[in-house]
Amino acid sequence: MNEDKFNIMLSGVGGQGLMLLSETIGRACSEMDKKVITGEQHGLSQRSGSIYVHLRIGEDAHSPLIPYGEADLMVSLEGMEALRNIEYLKPDGHIISSNRLVHHPIETNKVVEEEVEEYITIEDIVEKLEEVTENIYMLDSLSLAKEAGNPRTENVVLLGAVTSIPNFPLERDVLKEVVKETVPEKTIDVNLKAFELGYEEGSKNR
Amino acid sequence: MAVQDIIDPKSKKTFMIGNQAIARGVLESDVKVTAFFPGSPTNEILDTLYILSGEFEDLKMEVSANEKVALETAAGAAMAGVRGFTSMKSVGLNVASDTFFTLGYTGVNAGLVLLIADDPHAHSSQSEQDGRYYAEAAHVPMLEPSSAQEAYEAVKYAFELSEKYEVLSLIRTTTRVNHQSSNVEIDELDRTTSEKKSWKDVHKKFYTLGAKARKLKENSLNKLENIQEDFEESSLNRVIEGEGTTGIITSGVSFLHVQEALQVLDLDMPVLKLGTTYPLPENTIMDFVDGLEQVIVVEELMPYLEDRITQLAKGSELEIRGKRSGDFGMVGEYDVPRIVNGISSILEIDSPKDYDKFVKKAEELKEILPKRTPIFCAGCPHRATLWALQQAIKDKDYVFNNDIGCYSMFLLEPYEITDSLLCMGSSLGLSSGMQHVLDEKVIAMIGDSTLFHAGLPGLVNAVHNQHDLTLIVLDNSVTAMTGQQPNPGSDFGPDEVTEIDIESVVKSLNVEKVKKINSFQPQDNVDDIVEMIEYQGVSVIISEGPCALYHDRLKRKQGEPIIPNRVDDDTCRSIYKCVRNFYCPAIELNMDSSHTEIKKDLCDGCMVCAKLCPINAIESTGGEKDE
Repeated sequence: MNEDKFNIMLSGVGGQGLMLLSETIGRACSEMDKKVITGEQHGLSQRSGSIYVHLRIGEDAHSPLIPYGEADLMVSLEGMEALRNIEYLKPDGHIISSNRLVHHPIETNKVVEEEVEEYITIEDIVEKLEEVTENIYMLDSLSLAKEAGNPRTENVVLLGAVTSIPNFPLERDVLKEVVKETVPEKTIDVNLKAFELGYEEGSKNR
Repeated sequence: MAVQDIIDPKSKKTFMIGNQAIARGVLESDVKVTAFFPGSPTNEILDTLYILSGEFEDLKMEVSANEKVALETAAGAAMAGVRGFTSMKSVGLNVASDTFFTLGYTGVNAGLVLLIADDPHAHSSQSEQDGRYYAEAAHVPMLEPSSAQEAYEAVKYAFELSEKYEVLSLIRTTTRVNHQSSNVEIDELDRTTSEKKSWKDVHKKFYTLGAKARKLKENSLNKLENIQEDFEESSLNRVIEGEGTTGIITSGVSFLHVQEALQVLDLDMPVLKLGTTYPLPENTIMDFVDGLEQVIVVEELMPYLEDRITQLAKGSELEIRGKRSGDFGMVGEYDVPRIVNGISSILEIDSPKDYDKFVKKAEELKEILPKRTPIFCAGCPHRATLWALQQAIKDKDYVFNNDIGCYSMFLLEPYEITDSLLCMGSSLGLSSGMQHVLDEKVIAMIGDSTLFHAGLPGLVNAVHNQHDLTLIVLDNSVTAMTGQQPNPGSDFGPDEVTEIDIESVVKSLNVEKVKKINSFQPQDNVDDIVEMIEYQGVSVIISEGPCALYHDRLKRKQGEPIIPNRVDDDTCRSIYKCVRNFYCPAIELNMDSSHTEIKKDLCDGCMVCAKLCPINAIESTGGEKDE
């Protein structure tokens, strides 16, 4: 059965701009007359907590939540958060994640109190992710964002990288156009550059 | 920006979150007066209407002191002849219920719609309360949309219904409808202008008492019979045709899960999707089950539909499966796997997917992951106050009654200091009861918004009855947790406002021992807190410091820089006073030097860590540019 369904699990840490990702992908779907539905985590407004969006594209995607093991793609703005939502990823699904780790004060306190020896590393995370898929791409999104001209464009770097996935169902130009319409006018050029850098970096991996 | 879509006069296809679709529905319905108290998962409704009230002169939006006042404000407007709307979280209706029940008797004049959002899984609520029972108890009709599109349409229909029968219409959503973005097709926007009206034109009275109450109750019940007839014909209830002798009855977001679960199971059974869940379209239900041997009821939380359908089908051979039969649980929210597994077990077939396998595997893989609990933002005044409070109570015997707000997180790791937390304002009443009984000092803690919402009666009560307790008021100028909306203590709002000073209010209540402290002076505050706790009688500490998110946004708006701190590597001796009991997300360790490091993109420059450092190793960057 060939289903019309493409599931993206978006995750990150509060304050990283995850909602811009779902907003732009959703609007691009709308532009392309594709059915799209999301299940978003809002609620507490504090920064620094775990956040996620289930984003589903296609006529056969009804529920706002991705069933376990059915995400075609996981996009994470932070390394640990990719692992935190791993039950949603399809075996051999794609992971595009920032290689950045944001350490929580509880973790820092444990290191200080010598309850743990050191912080978790991106290598620790990747080792676990590899048990589910080989299609992992950890991106140095912060450096690329800085290269684009603003460290705050990490989310758009990842968005660009997402469009390099072979079966990604949206047209890159449409998505780019939506980014242009969505970000503040003064930051359009920086964001488009971030988008391109992300795409190029993602394509290298193919 | 989606707000542009919401104010667009043209009909169009858009991508919107459920709560914005609801706000568009309110706008298209020509509602004139809206009032709210924030509460997740409804916040984006009021946040959107806050913005819209600035775009449309005839649209009034108010942030009320609590949900009861919000409902009364909307109802008063509807009595006076214009449409009124409010929305609130599930437990918000508990606060507004006194008004709600009597409105069920009096009815309204112009349209009045109340939307309540339940929170299965208790994502951001203290309970998994099922609000559907409120409709029957108050004799008002209830609609239950499944999607953003349906939620938008439900608002418009609810106003028609409200005016046709002069009743309050209730819309019940759940988190996964409010926080679901999808394709939404909106109609044209055409608002009328509004002028002041005269009460003389209303020709109605809105009160109940004795014989009048009995007559009005009968009247409301009669209206419901007519409303039920309308619902029997309504397209909100629809049958998705299928084969076989087993059918499904469902409503709300469960319908979306069901559609997909049937796809997974490759089953083609008939489905009745209910969009009007009080009064139930009984004939529609009976027509649907006619010819079926078995019906599976799929609904989150309590067996509301299941019990009513069981009652309806009494005496027939129909087998009803759902929660009462143990096939589906009453706790937590539903998703496709839960429904696939439930239906498989009822039909005694193997589930085509082993969802548990993914969950189990993930659990193993995630064992290495450190926790990421919600935590106070960098620059949060509460972090500083709670640091001082931890020092002040360290060697004391106390009982600590917490309340609803960001500071509720004091009960979570790494703090884990809280003995009770029930609902908005409960810290005061519970403290009053405990101080009659306990030997320990009773401490209550409440935020500014919660104090105005439901805390003041508890404080009045404690003063009048000469209780012995200490109240800590955390005044951060806004209702922070729900998105920094204004409260009666704020100096801003959708219109001009009068800022109410908490210290003056507390003093005017004859509290003798009142002390205002600056949240960002942690060391100085320790002694002040100790002094207040040691006082016999009611003592109130007001810790003042603006919410960091609100304050940062204000700074950005005014073009003021946010200047982060830095750790001087030559001075730092890894003492970690900036970490222990402080827990700021902007502070991390550099594993090479074992010194702390400040993340410039997160640091808000509140300077509290610098004050805590005994060797002054932390200082402001002074705003110099990053390397």
